[in-house]
Amino acid sequence: MRIQTLLLTTILTLLFLPAHAQMERERADIRPPVEEIFWTHGLVATGTVQQVPAGNMNVTIMHSFGVLSNRTLQNFFGLDSPPNVRLGLDFGLTDQWSLGIGRTTFEKVVDLRTQLVLLRQGSDGAPPLSLSLKGDLGVTTVENRRPLSDDLSGTAALMAARSFGDAFSLQISPMVSWFASPLPGNDGTLAGLGVGAEYRLSDRYAFFAEWLPVVGDRFEGAHNAFSVGLDIETGGHVFQLFFSNTQWHTEQYAISHTNTDFWAGDFRFGFNVNRIFQL
Amino acid sequence: MSNISAILTRGAAAGLLLTLICASTAGAQAFRTESGHVAFHSSVPLHAFTGTSETLNGRISLADSTVDFYVDLITLETGIAKRDKDMRQTLETEEHPFAEFYGKLTTPVNLQAEGAQQVSAEGTFTIHGISREITVEGTLNRTPEGLAVEASWTLNMTDYDIKPPGILFYRVSEEIEIELQATLQPENN
Repeated sequence: MRIQTLLLTTILTLLFLPAHAQMERERADIRPPVEEIFWTHGLVATGTVQQVPAGNMNVTIMHSFGVLSNRTLQNFFGLDSPPNVRLGLDFGLTDQWSLGIGRTTFEKVVDLRTQLVLLRQGSDGAPPLSLSLKGDLGVTTVENRRPLSDDLSGTAALMAARSFGDAFSLQISPMVSWFASPLPGNDGTLAGLGVGAEYRLSDRYAFFAEWLPVVGDRFEGAHNAFSVGLDIETGGHVFQLFFSNTQWHTEQYAISHTNTDFWAGDFRFGFNVNRIFQL
Repeated sequence: MSNISAILTRGAAAGLLLTLICASTAGAQAFRTESGHVAFHSSVPLHAFTGTSETLNGRISLADSTVDFYVDLITLETGIAKRDKDMRQTLETEEHPFAEFYGKLTTPVNLQAEGAQQVSAEGTFTIHGISREITVEGTLNRTPEGLAVEASWTLNMTDYDIKPPGILFYRVSEEIEIELQATLQPENN
């Protein structure tokens, strides 16, 4: 009897004793948003939802050369033509808000831009997409004897993007652009629907494409901008090599001043350098 | 029949009592946190960076001298989202979500002592699915806020099969400096 009691007591004691071994490992309850829907803050002419993080500076150098099909060898694939270069800096003020400034060679356009995150796609599918607002205000600083107010142009865009798995991303950006000094064919307010896509081949290479059709009236002689290119991610820089029929790197000029037809073979070579610095 | 039930009752009572006694003494001697700070430093010329997390889980029991710390690697942040993603890929956090240390204090601890006491712990550190025996030096300090712990050690990435990510022409240094600071609260059982 004694022994039984002792035994039972021991067993029960062991059962009741809290196990003071390791703590139970519990996963942290955070599902970070999808980090890279696109590798770059912009493609050729349109921006992407990829935000410049707080305290970081995004440096972009964008070039596009002359039309390849115009006396191809004589002009060495268009590289002899003066390139249109946009040098740009964007600053991440917060993780949701960035401010940028850029300058384009042609027409000496200086543009200020800002981008605001409304929604970020969650890695568990909620929310299902990323939404950002983008605004760009350009001013032509080339000597033209016009008052400054006639030199202004701008774009407002809503960018909706989604990453499908790890390899493919798609962005649709309805936008409105406006020119203080319109060209014939339109009173100065242009609507467009940007489409951007990126397909990743590896951690280093991705294909991208961009299409910017004008919706409604356009300036006379303006074509829809189309670009296709290759992203090369080097671990610090992202290089973009592309063919495009537009020679412009801001939305309002690409939607209005693209003067060749990609599908007729009149496209150019261009390349962008992107680098993010932590300040 | 009645004998057995009596025995059962008595046994249960005794067991419960023992349990309570054990639990309360252990409780007075054990400290926990879920919000410790852990940081690692990677020093590469022109490319030094630090990753931090504020959700380090820790438990120190003086009753049996165990030291138990773990962190979910998904909570580490380096300040650049893209780099965070690369880091998670490098550490393969989907398969190996935790970095953890479980071991024993090898130096005595006096809770009544003033100021920081040097302590060392020996145990197993696991990251990236690989476990190694390590010794960690640190300090314990009984403050009004709780039991303050500080410790640091150097981790060699190759020991844990972690392939340092390449940055264009050079690789991130294999030596990673790890440090943790946490204030553990007395455990209430």
